[in-house]
Amino acid sequence: MFELTRYDARNRVRGSLYLSIGLSLLAAMVIWVYPSFKTEVDLDQLIAAYPEPIVQVMGVQTMASLGGFLSFELYTFGWIILLGLYLAYSTAGTIADDVDRGRMDVLLSLPISRRRLLGERFAAMAVPIVGANVLPPVVVYVGAQLIDESLAATDVLAVHLLSIPYLFACAGIGLLASVGFDRAGIAQRVALGVTFALFLSESLLTGTDAEAVGAIAPMRYYDPNAILLEGTYNVADAGILVAMTVALFVVAQLWFTRVDIA
Amino acid sequence: MAAIELEGLTKDYGEVLANDDVTFDVERGEIFGYLGPNGAGKTTTIRTLLGLLSPTAGTARVLGQEVTDEGQLLEAKRRLGYLPDSPAFDETATGREVLELHASIKGDERSEELLELFDPPLDREIREYSRGNVQKLGLVATFMHDPDLVILDEPTSGLDPLLQQRFNEFVRAERDDGLTVFFSSHILSEVRKLCDRVGIIRDGRLVTVEPVESLLDRSGKFVRLHAAESIPRQAFELDGVHDLEADAGAGPSGGTEYVFTFTGDVNELLERLREYRLLDLSLEEAPLEEVFMRFYDGEEMDSDADSDGANRVVAGGTGGDDGV
Repeated sequence: MFELTRYDARNRVRGSLYLSIGLSLLAAMVIWVYPSFKTEVDLDQLIAAYPEPIVQVMGVQTMASLGGFLSFELYTFGWIILLGLYLAYSTAGTIADDVDRGRMDVLLSLPISRRRLLGERFAAMAVPIVGANVLPPVVVYVGAQLIDESLAATDVLAVHLLSIPYLFACAGIGLLASVGFDRAGIAQRVALGVTFALFLSESLLTGTDAEAVGAIAPMRYYDPNAILLEGTYNVADAGILVAMTVALFVVAQLWFTRVDIA
Repeated sequence: MAAIELEGLTKDYGEVLANDDVTFDVERGEIFGYLGPNGAGKTTTIRTLLGLLSPTAGTARVLGQEVTDEGQLLEAKRRLGYLPDSPAFDETATGREVLELHASIKGDERSEELLELFDPPLDREIREYSRGNVQKLGLVATFMHDPDLVILDEPTSGLDPLLQQRFNEFVRAERDDGLTVFFSSHILSEVRKLCDRVGIIRDGRLVTVEPVESLLDRSGKFVRLHAAESIPRQAFELDGVHDLEADAGAGPSGGTEYVFTFTGDVNELLERLREYRLLDLSLEEAPLEEVFMRFYDGEEMDSDADSDGANRVVAGGTGGDDGV
């Protein structure tokens, strides 16, 4: 068991390392600019200067504390949007690319069921998902100490831990697209489009009559503001994300066991 | 129990009927050639046997296991090797890494011996492989777990003649040790060198299944002879002469060139030609397309008159005295 997962995971280690380093640099930069922002700029005025939709889309609550600043500049932008889209995109390539390039015939000639193949491939996505969350929390915590801002270590840990089920849910969207389309390019574009549309639907529809539509968006269940500003960790929301991931995975499996491999 | 059993296998894509009620068995320990022109439906049959496509109608069993039941098919796959028509592997991996992955899943009984035989560049990345090298790696991966049955889709495409030869010898020796081989091809000469029996498919329909000798007897030879003077046409009134065409004044040395397909006894033909002075004579295997046309003629006549198809096929070509 897990031979394919091990194989895929090995292939993803290097990319995940670069991803972790890149995100750490982003985190370091955000923390580095924060002190000058705080002293030179009236941050509440700055928020007021942004058009309302931007503030709403980016989930800006306050920039007057490092937690609020990080939540907006690093976690909403870097994790919810960038990493979410990246994982949807990257996972969308797993199955569709094998089919597209004719590798699936060889893979499925091995004594391995389609269910297991899909499961093992998906499990290997844990490498970039977890990998992206290894280095940045250290950088964030140490960085905060260096600029003499208070940031609870548990909050930093929680904001990263709780991003893991969120990122798996985004990968689940990619997986479903990957079995639904046998051209990798199309699967990846669909995954990107759907993930971004879900992000917009959640953030733009909040507070409107159509707010319920955003309930299917994974972004609703991961809230860096609540963690970093209020110190509340919503485990139930994480449970919903896990359930979403399982549902997306099961549908993808059922679909994949029934389709003809083009 | 046969190694492969197909019963009324049909795959309908809507606009194309890729396999139409295909029924035949591949016996254990034989080399079975699945012959047909490109686009005839060979790959569809093979990919259905591997469970990659689900049949619209009919069933198939591989090593006694139903291909539409994934659990059963999985059992069969443990004892099965498959080489697709254009095998593809992870381009970023080296050949060695690919074989290690395969070994970890299906086991490795004999890759060392196979690597000596086919010798793909193991330490290079697959993206740098030529078509032939990918094929060599594919052959190693197909046979490494010492399967009971191998299914090969156009296995020798991309191999140079020397390796084709080596492949043929290898497959024959394996057959003698009990391996069953099912392979597809669109090249008659390849099939005749290797196969015990042949199934011919065209436009999704199985035309015939028969031992390779009888196929060759029926498909005949393509004869081209260049005579110094013209030969009277009654000289060609011989059993097995079809589609005779003559071209007077052919070539710089003059004379007449005759071209026909011959399914009779070559000794009789040579006996008949002895009294004429020939400038050149060649006998070649009939091109596959001609063989197919012959089968088609035979089949159509078969449906007109309820007679023996085999005899009709041989005698069924256009008369030997046309066009002289």
